Amino acid sequence: MLKILIPTLMLLPTTWLSSPKWLWTTTTAQSLMIASLSLTWLKRSAEPGWLTLNSYLAIDPLSTPLLVLTCWLLPLMIMASQNHISPEPINRQRMYISLLISLQVFLIMAFGATEIILFYVMFEATLIPTLAIITRWGNQAERLNAGTYFLFYTLVGSLPLLIALLILQKDVGTLSMLLIQYSPPTLLPSWTNKIWWAACLLAFLVKMPLYGIHLWLPKAHVEAPIAGSMVLAAVLLKLGGYGMMRMVILLDPLTKELAYPFIILALWGAIMTGSTCLRQTDLKALIAYSSVSHMGLVVGGILIQTPWGFTGAIILMIAHGLVSSALFCLANTVYERTNTRTLLITRGMQTLLPLTATWWFIASLANLALPPFPNLTGEMAIMASLFYWSEWTLILTGLAALITIIYTMYMFMTTQWGPVPPSMNNIEPPHSREHLLISLHLIPILLLILKPELVWGWYY
Amino acid sequence: MAARFLRIWPTWSRVRLGPVSGARLVSQTRSPAAAESATVSDLKPAEHKAVKSAPVSMYDKNKDYHGFHSDPHVDKWNMRAAFFFGISVAIVIGSAFIHYLPDHGMRLWARREAERVIKQREAQGLPVMDEYYYDPSKIVLPPVEEED
Repeated sequence: MLKILIPTLMLLPTTWLSSPKWLWTTTTAQSLMIASLSLTWLKRSAEPGWLTLNSYLAIDPLSTPLLVLTCWLLPLMIMASQNHISPEPINRQRMYISLLISLQVFLIMAFGATEIILFYVMFEATLIPTLAIITRWGNQAERLNAGTYFLFYTLVGSLPLLIALLILQKDVGTLSMLLIQYSPPTLLPSWTNKIWWAACLLAFLVKMPLYGIHLWLPKAHVEAPIAGSMVLAAVLLKLGGYGMMRMVILLDPLTKELAYPFIILALWGAIMTGSTCLRQTDLKALIAYSSVSHMGLVVGGILIQTPWGFTGAIILMIAHGLVSSALFCLANTVYERTNTRTLLITRGMQTLLPLTATWWFIASLANLALPPFPNLTGEMAIMASLFYWSEWTLILTGLAALITIIYTMYMFMTTQWGPVPPSMNNIEPPHSREHLLISLHLIPILLLILKPELVWGWYY
Repeated sequence: MAARFLRIWPTWSRVRLGPVSGARLVSQTRSPAAAESATVSDLKPAEHKAVKSAPVSMYDKNKDYHGFHSDPHVDKWNMRAAFFFGISVAIVIGSAFIHYLPDHGMRLWARREAERVIKQREAQGLPVMDEYYYDPSKIVLPPVEEED
């Protein structure tokens, strides 16, 4: 763990001490080296449980893929921001990169924490850099409103969790995930326990987000600069899923009955947000709502608590992290050229940027869960486990999958096909940086087809 | 008191926030994206004009522009570093490393071993699997009377 954390912390001196000219080169190179080094986490022991690296930080098959994803995202965020941040004054560029680095540090500590309270603190700490990135570097004045929504939705959800954790500490005597799994609290179905159950999961349901408490997400995604959207979609939402999978083990046997309304709400939300995508006019909002829709399936998979449900959830989280981040990058290449995210104005890109159209095509196919992509594996595992619970869920999950295909094709066809509007006649050619950025998203997802067991989580 | 405060609030907030927030809290990104945004341009009219008057394409200065830096030398080396560490190290060496990871839980070994045992037993004409996991003739049970 420290072999990654210390180089990540040393990125801060790199950022502040390297010469202004080579700032982006050095940080990109060093963060890519850290990302390569983080692959060694995947070499785990034959034991399926925790691999304790020290008493506070440890990894297990659930957190490893998320940790590697976190490390992989930092260089990509740096590369994606390079074009729009580098005209700023040098100290502001350094501040921006430092915020991204601090986010990675907090995320590594959150995913690696063995104490639930350390996880909680880091979960909250990620809010600060994200809020600063959204409200300071967003493009429009609405970013302040988006920041308020982001902060208060997440905080209102997570304060009950703090109280629930304190009660847990008082009752069980420990908050260590290594110990608490052997003596989970026995929960009788009293009202107090039901409220405690809700408090334990609410923070993560807001973060995922569950349909109904998702309003902060499209706002935050639309207003955030590209790096903010990327890290939100790729890793911060997964913090919710990860937290839920950690907590839900402790909440037996209450979850069995209390989870029903949440599963239905999540599946219903997947359909509703998918339908919202069908009538979106804003490209980034479309991708953001598609994230809510996919995360609805993940919530269903986690709350159903079967091995297939958990496996499907972790596969879908990783696959969605890479694909939606790639889609945000693609949306940003359009935005940096046309200064608009409106779908009606940015049409016919295929004739102008053919290679970028190929990236759009692959990313769209992955997003709509075409067969060999891991997205399909994840969705299928979740759908199957929900189907075993109740046949009726197939109507909801099937409809959600159908709508996903329709809106992804709608997004691809609107942006890539059709006549080119006159306003786009002299846009800039694509940069090598953008092609590299998208390929660094899509190559891992294509390689995961060949070795999917890396993201199968606990049950492999 | 509250009513009076509310009445003067619009003026008060403009007085307090005008100079400070206009200068500090608003993004001063000089990218065209920020410049086009209505609110930002209202607050920073001077900067807005400055951007509009100088639409410079990087390709005029550097035909081999890779999108990394305005200085051609830095641009080239940033591109090389990103491609080397991104593609050559992370993707190529990384996937080789992952491909040669040890067999997790010895599952592949168990599969190979099972296939070998099946072939061997079929060649000997034995059933693939015995009814008994342990050979019953080799199990030494305690005498019956000791149980009483």
